[in-house]
Amino acid sequence: MKILAIETSCDDTCSALLDDKKIISNVISSQINLHKKWGGVVPDIAKRAHKKRIDAVVERAMKPLEIPLRQRRLPPLTKGGFNAIDVIAVTQGPGLAVALGVGIDKAKELANKYNKKLVAVNHIEGHIMSSFFNHEIKFPALCLTASGGHTKIILIRDFGKYEIVGETLDDAAGEALDKAAKMLGLGYPGGPIIERLAKTGNEKFLELPKVLRDNKILDFSYSGLKTSFYYKIKDLPKEEIAKHIRDYAASYQNAVFEHLIRKFKLAVEKYKPKMLMATGGVMCNLELRKRLRKMAKELDLEIIMPYKKELNTDNAAMIGLVAYYKAMRGEFVKNIDKLDREARMGL
Amino acid sequence: MFDIKKIIDVLKNGGLVVMPSDTVYGLCVDATNPKAVDKILAFKERWPGKAISVFVEDFEMAKEYAVINKESETIYSSLIPGPFTLIVEGKHKLSKGIEAEDGSVGIRIPDNKLILELTKKYGKPITATSANLSGRKPHYSVESFLKTLSKKKKEMIDLIVDVGKLPKNKPSTVIDIREPEIKVLRRGELITKNVKTFISKSERETQKIAEYVFEKNKKPIIFGLSGDLGTGKTIFSQEIGKLAGVKEKITSPTYVIYNDYGKFLHMDLYKINNQNEIDELELIKIISEKEIVCIEWIEKLGKDYLAKLNKIFNPPAGRAGLKLITFNYIDEKTREIKL
Repeated sequence: MKILAIETSCDDTCSALLDDKKIISNVISSQINLHKKWGGVVPDIAKRAHKKRIDAVVERAMKPLEIPLRQRRLPPLTKGGFNAIDVIAVTQGPGLAVALGVGIDKAKELANKYNKKLVAVNHIEGHIMSSFFNHEIKFPALCLTASGGHTKIILIRDFGKYEIVGETLDDAAGEALDKAAKMLGLGYPGGPIIERLAKTGNEKFLELPKVLRDNKILDFSYSGLKTSFYYKIKDLPKEEIAKHIRDYAASYQNAVFEHLIRKFKLAVEKYKPKMLMATGGVMCNLELRKRLRKMAKELDLEIIMPYKKELNTDNAAMIGLVAYYKAMRGEFVKNIDKLDREARMGL
Repeated sequence: MFDIKKIIDVLKNGGLVVMPSDTVYGLCVDATNPKAVDKILAFKERWPGKAISVFVEDFEMAKEYAVINKESETIYSSLIPGPFTLIVEGKHKLSKGIEAEDGSVGIRIPDNKLILELTKKYGKPITATSANLSGRKPHYSVESFLKTLSKKKKEMIDLIVDVGKLPKNKPSTVIDIREPEIKVLRRGELITKNVKTFISKSERETQKIAEYVFEKNKKPIIFGLSGDLGTGKTIFSQEIGKLAGVKEKITSPTYVIYNDYGKFLHMDLYKINNQNEIDELELIKIISEKEIVCIEWIEKLGKDYLAKLNKIFNPPAGRAGLKLITFNYIDEKTREIKL
């Protein structure tokens, strides 16, 4: 089964081609350069850039299906390519409404034009599955997913059977890192910059509160931590912050990760899964990966994480993989023209 | 549900009634009946000379018994009915023991149907002291109150209106408004610096303020929230959402700009840096279609869009109210919330 997947839920325009569960192409047109200037995701830029880039990105993803050059003269190129596709997959939500719309419109257009079946995919399910590439899965599994927009612990009983057992009550972990980077006068995205600085910083330099201490709660809360950090550095002279920028980054990152791991560990103890998973943009952070592996080792459990960076951040390959399982179950969009974005889609 | 007639009969005969209020359970007697007031003083073992506040129906009734000028009435009508006791100069028409030694009296116009209806029908002030013995904690259930009483004390009670457990609201905030600069004599749920400014010392207090502001404005409403990071805008919005009937978790909309919960819209303009985006995202249209909206970082809308919103929403032409609320950081635990 050949699947063409499209994902435009936030700031990346993505398209991927899969042959069953195998990734043939995975194109991410990262818009980070455009967003840097604004210190965050800027919706109209996201929308315009999605619109501007979607055709080129899909074309790039389709490239492996192109007919070798010398035979090109006869059938129209792209048409031949699309004929080989069995299923088109697209992210329906959750995400930025206007951005989602661009991907959905494109998917509908292609499905109608080439008469293909369409699968609508939940972005979060995509993130969960992004660790499934190249791995065998044991159920029940427990997945920690953390990005700029989400922070959740999900219990997975089987393919397509999810239960959210913990989630953020306010800000997401990635958002917390981004906002702190902005407070420190660093750029966007904040996560990678903080990671780089934290490597050589002293994480005990600044004392920050331990949030949601109650061991019965599996949820996360980052707004209190963010506030506490903000008011600790707010009135400091610039030179003072600059002098200790690595220590501030390390202390804050440590507090964010300590909270993530503490709650994940509690969930593991409660649900006793056979396997652990960690996904989402925040898992690009090597320090966090290291801490998660250490935790899994102590608990004597296997932990799987996406094997490369592009599968952690938003990408279309993960959407294609979800679509593969959904297509095998016959879960196609019944009325293609009626498919609409669902900005606050639940799992 | 309540037998008001029965309560009135008991009060008329100088009886003592245990009754729920908008805060805690209260002890009620006719505040103009000297015998009844003596009874309550004896019951509470209260030092005579310390005032006992009274429930009244409205400012009209209050003015019969206390000095309230037109100015205070206008200012305080935005707080009342609500969980406040206003200390004003008494007219010495109430029974001895109600007014304090200095001649002041505590006036309560509670946000509570039963008591407002009762005072209206009874036509006289009723004591508003909490159901406890002097110096002890107030009670949220009749059961826990009765447990603290001796048999003799129990026999003094003529009627109990039991509605079960009340929510754990603090007693009313007592403010002395006799001088131009108001003084807070007791911290209740809501603390005011002046009539338009609340002080919050915790997340819970911010939630209480949100609840209070929401209840005061029961109609389609847009809350425009401004203030620095971490001053309580999201907590305020979460509470408004909850009151609007949202059952799900309300999380930060920073990354997606807005979350639409049906009747409630939660918007965050933190990431908006360019006025074009407001049009491009059709934000004004999205807001105008909703009943209850919280917009964080409202200042990012800019003057023109704010004026536009005002025109759409504020009376007489508009169909709702646009309320601007500013959150200020005072110290680590304290926030000032200005309406």
